[in-house]
Amino acid sequence: MTCHEVQLNTSLYLYGELDFAPEEELERHVEECAFCQRMLDREKTWHSALKSGSDDVSLDLLSRCRRDLHASLPGASRRLAAASWGSDWWGRISSGFSLPRGSMKLAMASFIFFIGFGMARWTDRNGVPEALQSSGPFSASSLLGPSTTRVREIQPAAQDRVRIIVEQVRDGEVTGSVTDQDVLQLLLAATRDSADPGIRVDSVEMLNRQTLDQQALSGQDGNDIRDVLLNTVRHDPNAAVRLKALEGLRRFAGDSGVRETLKFALEKDENAGVRSEAIDILAPVDGKLQMTPDLAGTLQDLMRSLPDDDYVRARCQQVLRTTNAAFDVY
Amino acid sequence: MCGANERSSEAELIRAAQRGDSDAFEQLVRTHDHAVLRMAFNLLHSEEDARDVYQEVFLRVYRNLPKFRFECSFKTWLYRIVSNLCLDQLRKRKVRKEESSSFDTDGGEIDRFQFVPEQRADVDPQRQMLSVEVNTRVQEVLSQLTARERLVFEMRHFQGMRLRAIGESLSVTEEAAKNCLFRATQKMRSALGDFV
Repeated sequence: MTCHEVQLNTSLYLYGELDFAPEEELERHVEECAFCQRMLDREKTWHSALKSGSDDVSLDLLSRCRRDLHASLPGASRRLAAASWGSDWWGRISSGFSLPRGSMKLAMASFIFFIGFGMARWTDRNGVPEALQSSGPFSASSLLGPSTTRVREIQPAAQDRVRIIVEQVRDGEVTGSVTDQDVLQLLLAATRDSADPGIRVDSVEMLNRQTLDQQALSGQDGNDIRDVLLNTVRHDPNAAVRLKALEGLRRFAGDSGVRETLKFALEKDENAGVRSEAIDILAPVDGKLQMTPDLAGTLQDLMRSLPDDDYVRARCQQVLRTTNAAFDVY
Repeated sequence: MCGANERSSEAELIRAAQRGDSDAFEQLVRTHDHAVLRMAFNLLHSEEDARDVYQEVFLRVYRNLPKFRFECSFKTWLYRIVSNLCLDQLRKRKVRKEESSSFDTDGGEIDRFQFVPEQRADVDPQRQMLSVEVNTRVQEVLSQLTARERLVFEMRHFQGMRLRAIGESLSVTEEAAKNCLFRATQKMRSALGDFV
């Protein structure tokens, strides 16, 4: 491969779109050619500059869009029901069978009757299944709103019985103080599990309010909140959520696990805002910091692991100097 | 990231949404809507337009989901809708001489580049300045690309889509998508010169 060909293929190479053979040739050439190596480095630089330049849209905008869509969908839904789904459902169901239309209707009616009869007998004997009652971690009184049940699968079982798999979707509302266990557990779960960054930001924000209560920090709740915030800083894919979690960790700054996570963020996080917040917590400019051997070790480690990051090095040095800890070993 | 399990669970969601399950549809929206909005915003540089595109995209998805037959991936199908709507918007704007580097928000017009985070640039004012200049130049070049080049570039560079999928989304061959990407990166390279 010539230098010109390398130049033509560099971008496709960086995007992983080159076939195996040309990719091998390009790599071989670049290894031996200083000019192409420099060119590849330049290309990598603008690739990464551009990547970092494409910031996320604000979560506020995303929320507004979702609200708009939510407001529009009922109308769309009605039109859709009239135009397509509603009018077509029988055709779609019956198209899978070769029975005449009249026989099919009769068969379906018998089937529905059979299911109703089977369900009635079953509930007579066994009572209403627990899953269909208001169950789960919340009391019945704490859950309001309608519940809908959908039959997902029906299978014949032995002795004229029927096995029905039911999906239950229930709108619920829990209102209470952040200190209420139900509320707290929901917030922790939302921070950990929600696929929606907007929800995660909101739940971290609420957890952060809880950390304002010094009393709460000392108990199990405090540990749970700290753990979920630590996990968020390390693993959440959204920088705004990580940043919000860091705010909450300020109050746990003396904790060794928190220090490790701050160090992790400084060394690994790609977002400048997150790194900036992490160093602010670890080495605050106001110098109100109780220096411990652990903290001094962390700062020294950072100075070693981030030799090119002048700002972080300067902040670490400043803190170490004001507390008369050693910093010049590195 | 996009493993077999993920794909099959998405297929289940789509089937559930096709059966009229509104929760499944909502979950489907929430899986993709952030990326859709980001792409629309990056292409159109206007919150208002991105919001309109977002709305229209998912309403179209909602209306046409019953017709989706899994002949291509859902993402490809979705981005076909996104790209068509964005191209329409960009075509409408063609009458404007040159796209501004600012964008409109509820709070007034804001310089787009002030929101550009810099890779480690906050640590050193000199590097920060250089990085801002690079980004400014990059954004200028992006605004000079044709609508299709820009779309391909966005889909490949920011959405991480493969050229084959991009081709399918834009109803062109993979080779055509590759050529588009090639032209876009060539323009980028020549505009940046020794800047980086």
